[in-house]
Amino acid sequence: MKRSYVIKRILYALFIFIVVLTLNFFIPRLGVRDPAERYYPPQGAMSDIEYEIIKQFTREQYGFDVSTFQQYIRYVRGLMRLDLGTSLRPGSPRVVELIGQRLPWTLVLSVTTLIISLIIGLLFGTLAAWKRGRWQDTLLLNASTISVALPSFFIALMLSFYLGFELELFPAYTNPNMVAEFDWSWNAIQVVFNNAALPIMSMALGGIVGYSQSTRNSVIAVTNEDFVITARAKGLSHTTVLYKHVLRNALLPLATSIGMSISGLIGGAIIIERVFNWQGMGTLFLEANSTNDYPLMMGIMLFLSAFAILANLVTELFYAILDPRVTVGDKR
Amino acid sequence: MSQRNVLLQVARRGGSFLSLVRKIWQHPKGRVGLIMVGCLALVAILAPVLAPYDPYDVTQRAAKGLRPSWEHPLGTTITTGQDILSMLIYGSRVSLAIGLTTGVALAVLGALMGVMAGYIGGPVDTLIMRIVDILLVIPTLPLIIVLTNLLGRSYFVIVLVFVAFGWTGLARVIRSLVLVLKNSNYVKAAELAGASRWYIMTKHILPGTSHLIIMNTTLTCAGIMVAEAGLSFLGLGDPTAISWGKMLAEAQGGGALLFGAWWWILAPGAGIFLAVFSFMRIGIVMEEVFNPRMKASSSIHKLFKHLNHSYLDEVFRSMEDDGGAESTEKPDPAEPSTTEGGHD
Repeated sequence: MKRSYVIKRILYALFIFIVVLTLNFFIPRLGVRDPAERYYPPQGAMSDIEYEIIKQFTREQYGFDVSTFQQYIRYVRGLMRLDLGTSLRPGSPRVVELIGQRLPWTLVLSVTTLIISLIIGLLFGTLAAWKRGRWQDTLLLNASTISVALPSFFIALMLSFYLGFELELFPAYTNPNMVAEFDWSWNAIQVVFNNAALPIMSMALGGIVGYSQSTRNSVIAVTNEDFVITARAKGLSHTTVLYKHVLRNALLPLATSIGMSISGLIGGAIIIERVFNWQGMGTLFLEANSTNDYPLMMGIMLFLSAFAILANLVTELFYAILDPRVTVGDKR
Repeated sequence: MSQRNVLLQVARRGGSFLSLVRKIWQHPKGRVGLIMVGCLALVAILAPVLAPYDPYDVTQRAAKGLRPSWEHPLGTTITTGQDILSMLIYGSRVSLAIGLTTGVALAVLGALMGVMAGYIGGPVDTLIMRIVDILLVIPTLPLIIVLTNLLGRSYFVIVLVFVAFGWTGLARVIRSLVLVLKNSNYVKAAELAGASRWYIMTKHILPGTSHLIIMNTTLTCAGIMVAEAGLSFLGLGDPTAISWGKMLAEAQGGGALLFGAWWWILAPGAGIFLAVFSFMRIGIVMEEVFNPRMKASSSIHKLFKHLNHSYLDEVFRSMEDDGGAESTEKPDPAEPSTTEGGHD
């Protein structure tokens, strides 16, 4: 891999990050009024000077004592120390800490979902490609068409209703004490996965459909390649050709999509987390939104964007290692 | 056959809008889709005539939580006794209106950006593609939540936000087609004959992309309808209107799960499913008509990018020139394809 290519990609990612950071700072700001106007106590018997002092104090508390641009500089400076500011919640917890508390819970959902949908999707997709045109393939295609048109939160509601309330197989709502009582014991881990079962199922369906269809297409494309025909002509067994020649090449594009999938899953878990009241980043964001807690909202948005940029960068570099043609010349 | 030729083929299978509809009609799957969309449109337009009860009437204390029966074919809600069939009929208005307006507006903006980036090239191209790159990494659902909070929760705002952040996918597809068309002989001939840029763009390039635009718009409509339902479900839709997503949220909030009122959940879900499914059908058939080499599975692959677990995010990430489109044919290493999945 050329070093200049790597540097170019990293610099570009940095540029995108700075633009996103700036947008992320100014867009939510548009809706934020001067906290002194918003939270001020009634003037009452206070003299004008006293009143002005109180207002000024409120402004300083919320960092509104300087111009917006200076606030932006302050924000960027804080960011370099990995400080995303403080939330407006009672007790002023730091945004970084809040995100840190909730992130693992969202990761439990998204990573498990990704693993499950990858495994099942790969199996189904390979099967469909191998049995191309036969009933297995048709069945999978029809099932995919139908499930793609079902919103995941509707699937979540139905699962919660049927498996949760009717059959009582899994908790229909997340146990509210789960997070507080978690202590890394085997029992606690079981409780977590028991509670996560329904959210994961409702998120995994889309992933299974997507991965199985893309695996199918990718496997079929590789099967038509000359080297596969050669391998067959040599008299290698079907399974050897499948594992050693077809799958290895067919799965490359899938491998590169994983990074973006995770970042998409984290951002997209918002609705599913809401359905099951799962205490992850999604519910944190919705809470922040309903209380107008803009430092927290900005923090979460910035985190998600940074994650996506990083995933993009890693994917690009990874792809360049796998396919050196990418680094030669500018493709655009 | 390379991606380039596939794109050219799509561009050449021209014809008027009517002939396009006729082609879809001749396809059995397409006919089903068209009929379903037609029915939906009729239901939405005739909602006040068709609805047996007033869907906004929340005073029916005697009729709370009725199971489906002849009087209330889809039952009533358990909190306020609203007739679910009537709510469902009125809800179709929101889905269709938002899906169609957003789809059309997205098509216009995306095509404009794509044609400008592809045909003018140079700094314009760079600028547009940079914006695309930036919009792709911003988490769309959180951003939409922030913006609806900021600008107010009306459908106008929702459409505006969808359009402002959703054009990137179409722009990329169109751009790659335009890059191919730009080098075709008839465009070169027009340039030599002294035609202005504007003339070439509107008379030669844009007609060539029209089918790709219509095809993508149909699939986008389906994606947007799901996205809108998701927003309404989160309580971010217009609070005064009845929509399917909001019905689902009310059902969950009103204890439909707890009291076993399955009809309250199933009805709006089926509404969303039918609407999305019929648009999808038409989109898939269109791809088959224009590009017979493309199998239905690749449109599903494309749609998956829309409606994936994180549908809102993916709706907008979709429509990039997908790997699915060329996957049924051999890649041609001699000719660098004009479109790359992901990043070019």
